[in-house]
Amino acid sequence: MSVVQEKAAPAAVAPPATAPPRPKRRRKGSTYLVGGILVLVCWAMLSPVLWTAMTVTKPTDVAFLDPPVFFYEPTLTAFVDLWQTTLFYQYLINTLIVALLSTVAALVIGLPAAYALSRFPGWISAVLLIAALVFRALPRFSVVLPMYDISRSLGIYDTTFAVAAALVAINQPFSIWLLRNFFAEIPKELDEAAMIDGCSRFGILRRVMIPLMGPGILTAGIFIFLFAFQEYLTANILTDVSARTVPVFIATQLGQTLPMLQQAGAAAMLLTLPVVAFAFIAQRYLVAGLNAGSVKG
Amino acid sequence: MRRREFLALVTPSVLVMGGLLVLPLHRTLEWSLERVNYGEAGTFVGLANYGAALSDPRLGQAVLFTVGLTLAVTAALIVGGYLLAVMVNGLGRSKPWVLGILLISYVIPHVVGGAMFSWLFDANFGGVVNHLVTLVTGQDVLWFTDPWPNRVIVALNTIWFMLPFAMLVIIAGLQGVPGELLEAARIDGASAVRTHWSVIIPSIRGVLGFVAIISIMDILRTFDQLVALSPQAVQLGNESIMLYIFNVAFQDGGQQLGLGSAVNVLLILLIVLMLFPFIRGIAKEARQA
Repeated sequence: MSVVQEKAAPAAVAPPATAPPRPKRRRKGSTYLVGGILVLVCWAMLSPVLWTAMTVTKPTDVAFLDPPVFFYEPTLTAFVDLWQTTLFYQYLINTLIVALLSTVAALVIGLPAAYALSRFPGWISAVLLIAALVFRALPRFSVVLPMYDISRSLGIYDTTFAVAAALVAINQPFSIWLLRNFFAEIPKELDEAAMIDGCSRFGILRRVMIPLMGPGILTAGIFIFLFAFQEYLTANILTDVSARTVPVFIATQLGQTLPMLQQAGAAAMLLTLPVVAFAFIAQRYLVAGLNAGSVKG
Repeated sequence: MRRREFLALVTPSVLVMGGLLVLPLHRTLEWSLERVNYGEAGTFVGLANYGAALSDPRLGQAVLFTVGLTLAVTAALIVGGYLLAVMVNGLGRSKPWVLGILLISYVIPHVVGGAMFSWLFDANFGGVVNHLVTLVTGQDVLWFTDPWPNRVIVALNTIWFMLPFAMLVIIAGLQGVPGELLEAARIDGASAVRTHWSVIIPSIRGVLGFVAIISIMDILRTFDQLVALSPQAVQLGNESIMLYIFNVAFQDGGQQLGLGSAVNVLLILLIVLMLFPFIRGIAKEARQA
């Protein structure tokens, strides 16, 4: 709370001395009110995660009692069972492979395209950008159902490769827009200076742009990774057993018997905790990405 | 940049999008004109699938549900996102922490968030919120078998994971409001509410419009959370358009792939229509830049 006042104090000094002490006191009261509301909002936003964390650390016989139990002897049985009785380990590896593969591929393919689109005005760029905008908004099934058919006839159905390839294509439009907006903020004079020094376009991209784009590339990478990590629909349609990802696994466990449900909860926690840590560490980049994404709004 | 260089840089991306998006889209368009099963060649039936889609009351209900959800959630996102953005934007050193906490619901997979919500509400799973609601109102609410309570939790869940996005984009907008404008309003003696309503909101209209269009496009595609939150969606009339497509084209034995594809095509047309103002803006800008 004290932090809030620090920020408020200089603002109270800035305006000319029209209103002496009274508004200051009111500001203090409203600061507490805002702080209180924010604490409540944060708590409400966290409650599904907190309740799941409690449910999966309860012994199975009290986990799903109604009225709910709040005091219990915590246990990790659900996690042990999850690890021993299901292929969770395999699903987790699949999820990571898909997310990493699709992130790297999307960046390698998207970076040059985004750079070109930020530097080459004209109708080709306009058409490509509009296509990307429309592709971003497509109903997913209109590309994923045919992909199911195609991947079966190519014999790559139920492989992590097929899911990763699908996600590269699906996330490509978003990453191109995001990276293009980051590139657009780098002055064109830098390109010209490098060209005078005898650099080719590829040289500029490699030697000048990519080092400058560090935070932008990181931001785009975080978003593509996150989208791939979250993806349920595509993975559900393109996988069966061997390439199944964690969100698909969790969805198949719903509507099962209680111990399995508790295992699904444990899986949800194991998937959530790293992403939550990730959100905290990468918070700056997520904010930057959403801001850059909205520049064109 | 020379044309040849441009093409060299853009080609890999165009090939990927062409092969993995345009080709499947072409297939969807073909299927929408055929009667077809997976793995078999279809028979051409003209516009019959479109006729069947438009006269199917189940699709009508799905459209009604999806549009209702979209309107309610988008309104809540704009209002809630704005209030939250104003509050969070005023924070000092605690801001990164608050943002970190608020971003958690954004990064959790939607199907998993939906499952977490179901455990929070379902009496069968020791739902703590359900327990509180029963204590306060004295009524047992059937969150999963009664249409309206089910709609409420689907809407709450959708707001839950989309609110961080709305808030962050609006915060970016707020930071772009010129300080002189706010100072002028203060000198003129405008109240806080008045300042927001007549100064800040008009100057971030574009940002609010952006939040609205992205929210509308994303909520029209509602699918993941229903899998977890509404196992009886079809019976309750809480089937979204995407879930309808999934059910008729994939789940029920893949018998009606043509019908599902026709709905897909109709949805694409609707989305392109909604995006038209943005498309015109990009075309104008890209030609000049």
